[in-house]
Amino acid sequence: MKTLHLLSHSPFTDQRLTSCLHVIGANDGLLLTGDAVLALQPGSLQRKALELMPAGVQLFALEEDLIARHLQDCLPERVNSVDYPRFVALSLQADKVNSWL
Amino acid sequence: MSKSLLLVSRHAPCSGSTPRELLDIALAGGAFDLPISLLFLDDGVFQLFTPNFAALEQKNLSANLQALPMFGVEQLYVAERCLRDRGLDSTKAQPAVQCLDDAAISALYASHDLVITL
Amino acid sequence: MSILLLADGSQLALDKDGFLADFNQWSEPAAQALAALENLTLSDAHWQVIHLQRQFYAEFQLAPAMRPLVKYIAQHAGSELGNSLRLNQLFPGSPAKLSARLAGLPKPNNCL
Repeated sequence: MKTLHLLSHSPFTDQRLTSCLHVIGANDGLLLTGDAVLALQPGSLQRKALELMPAGVQLFALEEDLIARHLQDCLPERVNSVDYPRFVALSLQADKVNSWL
Repeated sequence: MSKSLLLVSRHAPCSGSTPRELLDIALAGGAFDLPISLLFLDDGVFQLFTPNFAALEQKNLSANLQALPMFGVEQLYVAERCLRDRGLDSTKAQPAVQCLDDAAISALYASHDLVITL
Repeated sequence: MSILLLADGSQLALDKDGFLADFNQWSEPAAQALAALENLTLSDAHWQVIHLQRQFYAEFQLAPAMRPLVKYIAQHAGSELGNSLRLNQLFPGSPAKLSARLAGLPKPNNCL
């Protein structure tokens, strides 16, 4: 994984996800945390956009944020739920981390 | 060899201190001779069109941006799509910046060692 | 806050770091009074640097760190004056900070 992009803002009130999906590289990863996991809301355009990303883009979401928002049982197949140790491991595996602060 | 640093500025200039904070990183890094590129993305592109800061009694961020080349920060880029969405003309940007499409921005991320987005 | 006494008896306010409180109150006699505090006698080369410092500030609204100061002076006055060795001779210790002080600029944010 070249760059791991980290998002934590709700995609319904904020442009970060849209912008990120425009510029994300074909071998990058995207990890959703906090309100950014709301992008996985079933029926939303954001979820559809994520499902349509090229196969090389790896998608992750932080488990506790999914559980808190009742999204853990309806994940798209290609989205991996990760805990904090896995979050750290992903950050270390990536060449670099881009936090969309 | 120092690590190359890509700074991404994506907030509009007149509200909040985020653009100033990113610029301070650029100026400090430049003074230390780090290889730095600066990309204006999303509302960050408005920083290139000289707002009237005096109207809000704010420090003049635009004048500070012009100093970047003096500090050795000469790789300045802007997202073409974000300009287009906002009806802005790249030839009127100050300081002069290079326009990049989305694929070129992906390549920019890939070619730097570190990325800071503010 | 302290007071700078000029040769003609007038007074200017200084901030806690010894920088002129108001950029617009600067004058050549003020620079001379500030230089006297540092035991510096101002030569033509000193004046050139001081005026370029003020020009830099007017243009970019910030006080330069060392590297941009060197670059700016080299661009406007040539590299004989615009190099760090020469600037260190003229303004010993911390050239960017000291020359900014004599030029009436606010204290540079980062004296790198």
